[in-house]
This record gives sequence, structure tokens and C-alpha cells, in this order.
Amino acid sequence: MPVGPVEQKKLNYQELRIYSDAELHNYTEEELKSFKVKHATPICDDYEKGPWPSFISDAKRAALHRHKLPKEKLMLSPDVIDDFLGQLELSYKEGEGHWKHGGIVGVFGYGGGVIGRYSDLQQEFPGIAHFHTVRVNQPGSKFYDTDFLRTICDLWEFRGSGLMNLHGSTGDLVLLGTTTDQLEPIFYELTHSMEQDLGGSGSNLRSPSCCIGRARCEWACYDTQDLCYQLTMNYQDELHRPAFPYKFKFKFDGCPTGCVASIARSDMSYIGTWRDNIRIDQKAVLAYVNNEIPRNGGALTGRDWGKFDIQKEIINLCPTECMFFDGKTLSINDKECNRCMHCIHAMPRALRPGVDTGLSVLFGAKAPILEGAQMATLTVPFMKIESPYDNVKELVEKVWEYWMEEGKNRERLGEMIQRIGIPTFIEAIGIRAIPQIVKEPRSNPYIFWKEEEVPGGWSRTIEEYRSRHKR
Amino acid sequence: MATTADLKKIILEFAESYKKSKFYFNDMVHEVQKTVPDAKQRDIKKASTELVNEGVLIFFSTGSTTMYGLKGRGITNDE
Ligand code: SF4
Ligand code: SF4
Repeated sequence: MPVGPVEQKKLNYQELRIYSDAELHNYTEEELKSFKVKHATPICDDYEKGPWPSFISDAKRAALHRHKLPKEKLMLSPDVIDDFLGQLELSYKEGEGHWKHGGIVGVFGYGGGVIGRYSDLQQEFPGIAHFHTVRVNQPGSKFYDTDFLRTICDLWEFRGSGLMNLHGSTGDLVLLGTTTDQLEPIFYELTHSMEQDLGGSGSNLRSPSCCIGRARCEWACYDTQDLCYQLTMNYQDELHRPAFPYKFKFKFDGCPTGCVASIARSDMSYIGTWRDNIRIDQKAVLAYVNNEIPRNGGALTGRDWGKFDIQKEIINLCPTECMFFDGKTLSINDKECNRCMHCIHAMPRALRPGVDTGLSVLFGAKAPILEGAQMATLTVPFMKIESPYDNVKELVEKVWEYWMEEGKNRERLGEMIQRIGIPTFIEAIGIRAIPQIVKEPRSNPYIFWKEEEVPGGWSRTIEEYRSRHKR
Repeated sequence: MATTADLKKIILEFAESYKKSKFYFNDMVHEVQKTVPDAKQRDIKKASTELVNEGVLIFFSTGSTTMYGLKGRGITNDE
């Protein structure tokens, strides 16, 4: 069943707020200059001196702010961030971590979304004795309004450390540091007041994430937000109740530009593409050539980049050498185009993706643990899609069924594919091998046929053969 | 066909007697399928989810991976 479109609740910060404006703006820059956290932190202080924005400076700001909030409006110690920095300093000094990970903490009925974390120096740093992480499923394409952000910041200041990371590499908002007794109240507020769910962690489907897609981007070949939302809703059980061999990630890129880097970061990567031709506006091509339209949508700034040279900057850079320009007309041999997007990025008013759009599905990307980092492998070159996305769901379920059966404990899909080989994998999920999914010509000169691949199988009679081929 | 109640009983016996106090979902599936070969993963999951909701089984998560355990066996307190 397709879900929605669901009327999203519009949060009203003025109704949900915990702190007054005066409480939120409770220190001056002068005070900050002379502020010292509870522990001496010379190494951390040194890290503030570099050219980049420093999380240490942010943490100190947050520590001062916390100290000046009324105690009755803080469920955790006002010293949480001081202790956090104190332990960090010690770890830098000793070259050793002091966090204990994992455990049984969570919210009722969910097997993911909360990651237990404890200090192993609870006497020295009591404020971070418990310092659990809460993952919050980000809204589609990370669209927020300020009411949402201010509400969640107030909630986390009140029931957590106030420290957060926007966003984790899976996509979630990561709320860093709270105690076990605060987990259920936080979950209640998130779900009841904010209509926001926890994300995935552990051996679950992780929070699916998508690029901004059709909400803003003219290159989107399908509605990434809708597909992401539909699959998130459809696979709630997989998101919250862990039964996979290991983590599993979906990411949705609307085109091969890959703004959520699905090809590198997800077990099942969806990349928008087209199967007809790149649309060419020849007049606009000439306007680029004559420097009437700035290249790359005007993104090349900061110095004089010289006159646009279509031969040098476009034709010669096409990785498959499938573009030609005779001084008047641009032509593309679309059969050879591998959708690198370079020409479209450089001349967006002249070139656009085709109109017969859909997506490609790739499997098996992962970060290093075994065998090093791995990019996803193109497996379904083209798929037409449309809500309710039954063909996508069918593929997802085949893959899960096989991986749950065959995958070893803690084995990512990509590692399993490496172990069993692509031919076995595609056969298991019912996909025929086609040239587009072959990376290179085979280096093995032998072909091993299976019985079902040979007409007549192993049982054909020699007589029939001899009738055509004499001894 | 084994009922959810049957599956729960087998899971519980396994959780009580398994050599380690925490186990992966797959370990549980293989064990159940020894007794009930045609038990589907989906049904085993349904049974284990019920046991979790009843507070008999617990999830043990490292953040990257999740295991199951019997409440009261091994580490089952907060920390
Ligand atoms: S991946 Fe493509 S469609 Fe999505 S935001 Fe980036 S450029 Fe646009
Ligand atoms: S998208 Fe890339 S491969 Fe295709 S025509 Fe343009 S530059 Fe060439």
C-alpha cells in the first residue's frame, strides 16, 4: 500500500519551547573569553588554534551556556560537557579511549535507534557516566524549518547534553549523550509532540536517505523523497527490529551526480538515470561557446577562468569520448554515454537528462572493515518506477531473503557478494547477466555450463548427435 | 506448522542453554529450524519480537550490530 501524502504536522515552537529567549541568550562573548571548563584541557585548547571551525570551541560555548541555565531546567548535570572535555583531554594525553560501547539500552519495542555509551572513568567524570547516543530519523532530504530545529534543540538541552551532530553518515540527526532514565521521555516527546521517529542502528535497516531531488533539482530522474519515504514506511519492522546479519543501508540519488553518494555508502544504491538521449538545445550550446551564458551555472568564480573552450572543457573531458562539436552543432553518441554528468553540469542550459527516466540499482558498497572500502556494483541497469514501487519492493525482498539466509553474522551484503561471486548473487535474485553489468571481459578461458543452460540438459542422447555428426 | 507459542518455547530453551549469553538472530533461526525445518524467518522474528515485548528476551546492541539475549543471563543490567 502506498502511504500518504501525509499531512505533516506543523510544529509551533512557541507552544513547545522549554527555554525563554533570555535563557537561550544567557552569556556574552566577553564572558566566553574568560570562561574555563572544570578540568584543565591544554591539548584541547591547542586544537582551537587551527584555521578550521573547532568542535572544542563549540563545546566550550555550550558548557558555559549550560552552567548559566536554571538547574530546574536541566535533567542532566550542568557539568556534562565539562566532563566530556575532561575525558577527551585525558584520551588525547594517554592515547587511549575511555568509552564503553553497547549494551541493552533502548526504548520499548525498538531494537535500534539508541546506542549505549558509558565512561570507564565514572568517578573522575560523573557527568558522563552514561552518555548514550540517540539517532533521530532525519526528514526527507533533510528539510527542516526553524520551529523543528529549535524544538529539538530545547528538548535535547533539557533531557540530554545539548551536544549533537548534524548529521551522521547514514543521515540521522545524532544526539550525543544522555542517561538511561531520559530515553523513554525523549522518545515520547519525539514521537508524540514532534511526530519524529528514531532512526536505525545495529543489525537493522538504517534510516534511508535521499538527495534533495525533485524538491529543488531539475536533474532528478525520479522522486527520491517519495521513494525514500515509501520504503521507510513500508519497512518499519526492518528499521526497528533487528534480524539482519548486519547493517543494511538504502540511499537514493536522483541522478548520477550522486549528492548522497549512494554508490559509495549504501548496500542498495538507487541512482536516477534515463534510457533515451541527453536533450540538447543547440542555441544554448552556441550561447555557451560565445560566452553569453556563464559555464557551470556561474559556479566558477574567485578568479579569471578565461574564455569558455568547449573542445577543451567538454568534448575532451567526456570520459567515453562520445561527444563531437563541429563549430555549429553539438552531437552525442548516446549509446556510449556513461552518464558521468560532466557535460550537463558544465552547460546546464544547453544539456539536460533525457525524458524516459527511471533508476539503476547497485549493490554492495561499504566502508572498510574486511577487504577495504568498496563501491557498489551495477546490477539492474534500468528500472522504470512509479508509486507504489512494487517492482522495487519485490527486488528488495528477494535480496533480503537471500542475504538473511546466506549471509554470515556481521557480513555486509557487499562482502557476501564478494565471497559467493556476482553470478551466484544475480542468479539468486533472478537477474540475467547482461553486458552492462560486466566490468571487464572475462580472464578465465573456460566456460562452465549448468545443466539448465544446455538444450536438452545432460540427458540428450548420443544417437541424436550422431545422426548429424558421423564418427 | 509450528505456532508462535511453539516457536517461542524453542527460542526460550535455546536462549537458556546456548553456550554464550548473547546470540545473533541467525543463530536463533538455525537452532529453531533444527526442530522445525519449515519455520520461516518471518515467523521466528515474530516470535522473538513477542518475547522481547514481554521482557523475556532483550536486545544487546553494539551500535553497529545487534544480538539477542535472555534477560537475567550475562550482562543484562544497564551497563
Ligand atoms: S543527485 Fe542529482 S537529482 Fe539529486 S540533488 Fe544531486 S544533482 Fe539533483
Ligand atoms: S554525461 Fe559524461 S559521458 Fe555522457 S556525454 Fe556527457 S560528458 Fe560524455
